[in-house]
This record gives sequence, structure tokens and C-alpha cells, in this order.
Amino acid sequence: MNRIDQLFQNKQKDILSIYFPAGYPKLEDTLPTLQLLQAKGVDLVEIGIPFSDPLADGPVIQSAAKQALDNGMSLQLLFDQLKDARKTIKIPLILMGYWNTVYKFGVDAFLTECQNVGIDGVILPDLPLEEYQEEYKVKFEAAGVHNVLLVTPQTTDKRLAIIEKAASGFLYMVSTAATTGGALQASKEREAYFKKIAALDIPSLIGFGIHDKASFQHAASFSNGAIIGTAFIKALEKGNTSEFLESLQ
Amino acid sequence: MKIKVCGLKYSKNIKELTQLPVDYAGFIFYPKSPRYVGEEFEAAIPALFPKSTRKVGVFVNEELDVLLVKGEKYKLDAMQLHGGESVEYCQKVKEAGFEVIKAFQMNDSFQFNSLDEYENVCDFYLFDTKTENYGGSGRKFNWKVLENYKGSTPFFLSGGIGAQDAEQIKQLSHDKLYALDLNSGFELQPAKKNADQLEIFLNKLELNTMNKDKYAVDERGYYGEFGGAYIPELLRKNVDELQENYLKILASEQFKKDYARLLDNYVGRPTPLTKAGNLSKRYGTNIYLKREDLTHTGAHKINNTIGQILLAKYMGKKRIIAETGAGQHGVATATVCALFGLECIVYMGALDVERQAPNVARMKMLGAKVVPAISGNQTLKDATNEAIRDWIANPESFYLIGSVVGPHPYPDLVTRLQSIISKEIREQLEKETGNPNPNYVIACVGGGSNAAGAFYHYLNEKDVNLVAVEASGLGVDSGETAATITIGDIGFIHGSKTMLMQDEDGQITEPYSISAGLDYPGVGPLHAHLAVSGRAQFLSATDDEALNAAKVLAESEGIIPALESAHALAALEKIQFKNDDVVVLNLSGRGDKDMETYMKKFN
Repeated sequence: MNRIDQLFQNKQKDILSIYFPAGYPKLEDTLPTLQLLQAKGVDLVEIGIPFSDPLADGPVIQSAAKQALDNGMSLQLLFDQLKDARKTIKIPLILMGYWNTVYKFGVDAFLTECQNVGIDGVILPDLPLEEYQEEYKVKFEAAGVHNVLLVTPQTTDKRLAIIEKAASGFLYMVSTAATTGGALQASKEREAYFKKIAALDIPSLIGFGIHDKASFQHAASFSNGAIIGTAFIKALEKGNTSEFLESLQ
Repeated sequence: MKIKVCGLKYSKNIKELTQLPVDYAGFIFYPKSPRYVGEEFEAAIPALFPKSTRKVGVFVNEELDVLLVKGEKYKLDAMQLHGGESVEYCQKVKEAGFEVIKAFQMNDSFQFNSLDEYENVCDFYLFDTKTENYGGSGRKFNWKVLENYKGSTPFFLSGGIGAQDAEQIKQLSHDKLYALDLNSGFELQPAKKNADQLEIFLNKLELNTMNKDKYAVDERGYYGEFGGAYIPELLRKNVDELQENYLKILASEQFKKDYARLLDNYVGRPTPLTKAGNLSKRYGTNIYLKREDLTHTGAHKINNTIGQILLAKYMGKKRIIAETGAGQHGVATATVCALFGLECIVYMGALDVERQAPNVARMKMLGAKVVPAISGNQTLKDATNEAIRDWIANPESFYLIGSVVGPHPYPDLVTRLQSIISKEIREQLEKETGNPNPNYVIACVGGGSNAAGAFYHYLNEKDVNLVAVEASGLGVDSGETAATITIGDIGFIHGSKTMLMQDEDGQITEPYSISAGLDYPGVGPLHAHLAVSGRAQFLSATDDEALNAAKVLAESEGIIPALESAHALAALEKIQFKNDDVVVLNLSGRGDKDMETYMKKFN
């Protein structure tokens, strides 16, 4: 069974997912970071594929991606780094990136590598659902790789129904209209949106603007859990990742 | 007359056929056929055809349950029953909600009264050549026998129709002849159709209704395989809103009136078409310059910003975001925002802010806020990223894109707004020479908006050579270039599938050109399509070639062109014109902004 499905079967509350870019801050940091995250009880990890033009990301992830690229990171190198990851890493792994890098790598080759190294899902924010369904869905399903879809506060009910039907793994619930790394303001409308998505038949995690224990707990109270990216990258930068992860407990 | 193409299987092949007016698409579910779709056939493949194409499943004496399951799975509209199916069987298929096409095998002695019992249950008949097996012989039957058919059910004509039969088909006059069923006569191999041959055949029969719009965008924003809207879900609602509204608003009387009035008395249109006598002598031909340099703000960019600001106004938008490279689009946007009293935020690469100080000052004087983009290499690509990020964070804003790039509908929207250029060229040239069509239209291409506008009304005029000129910087192989079509490959940038300069890992690379307006690593999807389909010829000009061409124009015609337009002028050196050729060159902007560069080179 796909490890993402297994996770949501075993745990419905307070799922903590961490995002970090591969090859950051140092080229060879990908696997050690994964091991740390697992040791600290993180439930799910999203590994970022660095891209030159990350449209949906704020300044922190942009500059981390740039540094990773300057370090010499690439998608092929990421797969190489993850070759033996499954000997020690048991938690579900997701690759998150932009469509151009995957397309250029070749979708078939990408999925084969995902299977080889034990990737459970992908998040490809700029691959439109319609294109995915027509061209790639069959291949992703055959490879056992979930394509995790995003919903946002702007998603209309009509589109939400389409996304719900097409979703696999879980829904990535974008908390707010913003790029990554903003702050999350509580509001009635936002809570109503969280509740609407949480009521769907598929599990959901809230991301964008989640940065500490308080915002994690707030978000997790409306969903199955939440995703922290920018705040963790700042900790990687400062070198206080253990303290940061412990502060979330 | 309708067209059915039968015996399909391969998705790539089907995508080619979607460029043709296929009314019925046939998929063969009979395992003994060489065109059998197979066990693993994906449900997504028939769906590649638009809704307007009816999907037909072809079966031979299949168990009803199996047929119904396939019908559901592949979302079939019609069932073609090619064996000895009974009237009762046909009735059940019809009751399940499918159109019924019953096939019969013809020979000279066929008794049409045997069809009487099927008359009320079948939507159509299909008359095929009688063979040992069930069709697929590639042979025609004697069409004279059709004269004996007096029934009321319309029929498909099938059996070995090929490209050579166009004339004979034109002579057929049976009033129940409803459609042609085309299969083995148009194949490269079983189940793989020859789209080019089909197109020629349909042209001969004057059935190719789509031919006219071959270079128009389709409903999902594609030009051939390029375009689309590759955007994060965060932008979906904004882009949907624009997709739903832009054509309606552009077609409204109010818009047309306002747009025409502003182009006339604010922009200063129509711009002249100047016969460049000295330049013509120099190149031994007849050169006309379309004078976009004479518009208000000094470049074609204003045609687009006037149109989009009206669109923003009708959509109730109050805050305008734009990106700019050299600052021409930024100035044109700041101008219309000032005119309409709307808030204006222009993203500009930090490096460009430094390089283009006069345009930054113009924007500021016009009341715009100029935000330096400090990400990436701090040029146009990064300014566009920042503008899109702003749009994500401020979804109520209107993003006023400056070129024929970005997610659908922007490439089409901007093309339509710039198409005023070729509309005027046609009228002016007809007055001047008696013929609206020149032999050549030449324009420079960065993102490609002035070229899109200059080409638009000529896209389907095959006698007009379209020449696009990219900036090759220090040379196409120098690593310092912006010649996307020449050295790029397929990728995704700023929401569009197009040709792109990227490295082997799919990282977008930084372009270089002396002209900031051509300094873009992608190109509009229309141009990618024109290049790949061969409709337009893509040339490139280096920095030096452009600089020299600018000097030639200045000295021979008394016009100082923008550096961008100078790339188009440089192409005059690269084409062998005939004495009586008529050449239109789109002079997209004036050179004031480039004086510093010119002075460095020539003083």
C-alpha cells in the first residue's frame, strides 16, 4: 500500500509535514535532513525539486532553491541521493516541484525513478488538472505515485467538485491567497473555507503560512494536519533544525 | 456531408486529426481486426477529440453486456454494428442511449428491401463492400447499386475510399448520403492515419471548414501543441474569469467603440505605411515601413495596453499589475493607468531599472509605482515572475501582460489587440499597390507581440511570407543569445507551453541581447507554432547586425528605429528579394530610448 494512504489510515489528526528543497543548504544535505525529520517524528516529507523560476514561492524558498541550484542540485542528482534512502527512511516521501523540470526529465523516466527510490506522491502545482488527466494520470497510477492536488480559498465550488473527484492521496489546502512564506491571519471566512474542505471525503493538509506550534495547532484543528516549509528552511539556514522541530511538539 | 474517420488507436495520431473537421471518430473493438484498439486501450484517448466529434465503437456480433461496458468506459456516442446483429439487438443498443449505425455489405445484387425491418431502430446505415470477413477490405463496391436504395434512413458510404476518389464523390447525388467513412485509404500503417493526405482530400471536397482557422487558438488556448494555461491552482480563478470574459467584452459594441476612439485620437492611429525609397533602392525591391514608432509613447505596446485597460475597466478592476523589460510596456501601462485613474504597479528587473533610467523616470512621472525585481538575474523573466506572484497574492488585481505570452487567454488577447497593425497594413497596401497582400511581412520577435499583430491578418494568406527575426546577441552559438526558436526546445514558462531556452535539467537560462525588449528566454506559443509548422520563417540578427541596420535606416530614411525594430531591419540583408517584391517591415518602435547604446557604438 502507498505509504501516504497508510499514514492517513493510521493517523487522522495532527499530521506534520515538512517541506525542504533538495541539496540545501549543502548539496549532500538531502538524506541527512530526511533522517533528522524522521527521527523527530515528522509524519510526511515534501522534498522540493529546485527550479529556476518558482512562481508560487516567496523569497525564502526562492533563494533556497537558487542556492541549491548553485550547489549543483538537479533532479537526476536527487534521485541518486535517494537511491538508498528507503533502507532507513520509512515515512512517506513526496516530490514537489514545477512541471518544466519533470517534463524535461521525461515523465516515464521520472516515474520509473520515483518507483525505484520509493516516492509516494508528487505535488506539481503548475501542471493543470485537465492536462494531467488526459495525458498522464494512467501513468502515475500505474507507477503508484499520487498526484496531490491543491485547493485554494479562490477555488470555486464547481471546480472543487472536479478536484475532489480527481484527488489522490490527500488535498493540499492552501491557507491563503499568497505565495509561500507569508503569515496566516485567522478569520471567519478562512475558518469556513477550512471546514468546507475538511468535510470532503479525502484527507487534507493545510499549507502556506504555517510557521510555529500555534499556527500548526490552529491549522491542524481544522484538518488532518499541516505543512511547514519556509519556517523550516529558515531553521536549516540558522542550523537550529532540532530545536525548531522540538518546538513544534 | 459529414466525415467519419475509422480505425483509430494512437493518441499522437489523433491529436493531428483534431486539426481536421472529423465529425465521427471510429474505434474498432473487434479483436480480429488489424485496427483493433486492444485490451489496454486508454479511455482518455477517444476523449482527445472535442465534444463535437462523435465517438463511435465498432463491434461485430459482440455480447450486448460487453458492448455496453465499453460504451460506458470510453464514453461512446454511437455504436456501429458490423456483423449480423438482429433488429432486437439494435433496439437494445438504442435503448441504452447510443446512436445506432448498422453496417451492411454491398454487392451488385444487394436487396435493399432486407433493410426494411431495421428502418425504425437504426439512426444510420453504413454501406460497406461485401467481403469474406467483416469489412476492412480496402476495396470499393460498385456505387451504382446505391441508386436502388430508396429508404429514409441516412447512410455512411464506406469501403476503400481513398484520396483518388474525391472527384467521383463530388458526382454522387444520393439525397440520403450522410457521411463518408474513411479508413484504410488514408493510412500510413493500420490504425495510423495520414493526416496530411486527409487534409488534402477534405480540401478537394471543400469540406475542410477548419482550414481557415488553422493558426487560431483553440478553446483551451492551444496553437497546435503550444499554449495552454500551466498555472498553479492559486491563479485558476483569475485566469478562468479572464477566459470567460475576454471574447465577450472584445466583441461588445461598447468596447469596439471605445477602443477605436482611443486608438484614433489618443494613440494616433492609423499609423502611416511609409514607402522607404532609399532603402528599397539599396535592396533592389519595394520596402514599406509600418510606422508603429509614431504612436503615442513611441511603440506598438500602447495598442495592447489601451485594449487591456478597457477590459480591466469593464471587469471592475481597480489595481493594475504589469511587468516590463526595457520599460516600453511599463510606460504604456503607466500611461493608460494615468488616463483611467487606476493604481499601477510595474515590476522591472533591478538590473533593468538601472539600465533604463529614463523609462523608470517616465513611469514614475505618470504616477506608477516601479518595483525592482531582485530575484533571479533581475531582468524581464524575473519581473514577470514577480508580477505573477503579486497576482497570486492580490487576486482581485488585473494583470496587464505586455506580450503574446503567459497563460491562455493572454497570447490570444494580446494578438487580437495588436492585430490592428496588419488590419491597417492590408487597407493601406491595397490603396497603395492595389493588392492587400505583400510578398513579405518582417517583424522582430522577443515575446512576439508586434510580430503577432503584423502577421495576424496574413496567417492564412499562403502567398505572404512571414519572417520573424529573433535577437541572437553575440551569435546563436555564443551562449549569449536570445534566439529562442533557434536554440530552444519545448518547455513551460510563465504559464505557457512553448519553445524555451533551458539547460539539460529544465532550468530556464538567461537570455542575452543588446535590445532589452527582445531579451526573453521564451516566445509566444503562436510563434512556436508558426515556427514548428513552417508557416513563418525564423531568422536571427546579432547585436552588431542590428546596430548597423539602425544606422542604415537613420541615414537613408531619416528614421531612428528602436533597437528591437533594428533586428527586423537587419533581416533585409539576409533575404534575396526580387525587383517587384513588396516587402512590409513592421517598425515597432522609435529609437530615442536607445540613444545611449547608439552613441556608444557610433561616436
